[in-house]
Amino acid sequence: MPSQLTRLLRGNRDLSTFLACAAASFVLLALPPGAKEGVGRALSGVALGPFKRVAAAAIETAGVRRENLALRRIAAELMNERNALIEHRQENERLRELLRVLITFPEEERFELLPARVTAMPGGRVIERIEIDKGTEQGVRTGMAVVTPEGLVGKVVTVYPTRSLVEPLSNASAAASVVTERSRVRGVLRPRYRVASALTTWAVDYVPARSDIVPGDRVATSGLGGVLPAGLSVGTVTSVEDGPLTMAVDVDLFVDFSKLEHVFVITGTRSGPRARTEEEERLLREIGELTVEEGH
Amino acid sequence: MRMGSYAALAFVAVVLDATLAPEMEILGARPDLLVLVVVYGSLVLGSRPATVAGFLMGLLADAEMAEYMGLHAFALAVVGFLSAGIWDHLVRSNIFVQCAVLLSATLVHDAIYYLVYYRNHLDMYVRFLARYGLLGGLYTAALGALVFGLARARRWGAVAGGHNA
Repeated sequence: MPSQLTRLLRGNRDLSTFLACAAASFVLLALPPGAKEGVGRALSGVALGPFKRVAAAAIETAGVRRENLALRRIAAELMNERNALIEHRQENERLRELLRVLITFPEEERFELLPARVTAMPGGRVIERIEIDKGTEQGVRTGMAVVTPEGLVGKVVTVYPTRSLVEPLSNASAAASVVTERSRVRGVLRPRYRVASALTTWAVDYVPARSDIVPGDRVATSGLGGVLPAGLSVGTVTSVEDGPLTMAVDVDLFVDFSKLEHVFVITGTRSGPRARTEEEERLLREIGELTVEEGH
Repeated sequence: MRMGSYAALAFVAVVLDATLAPEMEILGARPDLLVLVVVYGSLVLGSRPATVAGFLMGLLADAEMAEYMGLHAFALAVVGFLSAGIWDHLVRSNIFVQCAVLLSATLVHDAIYYLVYYRNHLDMYVRFLARYGLLGGLYTAALGALVFGLARARRWGAVAGGHNA
């Protein structure tokens, strides 16, 4: 029997190649988590990382060029002499908004925020991971929450020296303990894939029947579990259906994962309000002046 | 197409799959550039290069999801091996056949990959394949029609019905 198998494999090199690849795959799958992480880091960091950064930068540059061209056309139609000003405003609007959020973020009394740029969204049909351009060298650690001004994005699951991978709420295994801001009803937020719907939706599980929840209620993280801090905005309740034991609660998230460009990593918390630095006060004044100028 | 050119194409596909594919999203579905390149390799170069390329491309894709290291590699190796085998039984020069093989290959890849990924949520697995797998497969096949059409226009022999170009 072994000799027949050997002859078969020798006679069919395609099959032998496939079986070798399959065997190697199973060996990799069976590796302990630490070893997998090591192999992943080596492949990602050495073989793939630099090229992905270049490609991401090129794609972003192409997007900025397209946007620039469109803005020039609009400005020429409206007012030729203000062309340069309008173009300048569009180019800087996003950066100034980021700066404003960084300094005057609503949670500034509690959270230390590290701004980061989204460089890739690896995964399959849904966004399973979000890669950002900040890592251990900038103070990012596994488990840190990632947010935008709109609300919670997810948490950091893998950290490299200069970049990190974030598990967004759209990931099938993602779950977050949440609470309604008005009535303080708790539950666990999870994604739902609906066949008929064009988008992933989210539901709050384990909500006891006849709880005080109505459409329009805002949902935030509860802080239970100790991974995500309490009070991060998550979304709004869109529909509620009472059942015999639990309620079916659907939630519309504040964050649109497909349009993420910049995020903030919550690197720590403070016990009290933080005084703005002189530099931040100057930048805030500058932003205010620019906004007033544009208003005129 | 020479082996070196195909290796370069495969590497570029891995990079673009992580960076450009999200920009190409339509109705939540992305084209699977890796499957497209593996199926193309199976048509142009044959079974062994496609299987090995699928394994190596999958390995690089797995690097970002270390907990599933080897899963993409296995799924893409299966795609390379099966698609190369099936060309011998079909009219390989017909672009509709090429797209049908591409659609089937994408579904096979997703069926293998997400069966392990959603092993604890089999209800979600079925919904996911119905919602994203099919749409992603059709998207990949449509993109494949462009690639195979371009290859035909450039008179790359294997795509037009011959063997190794």
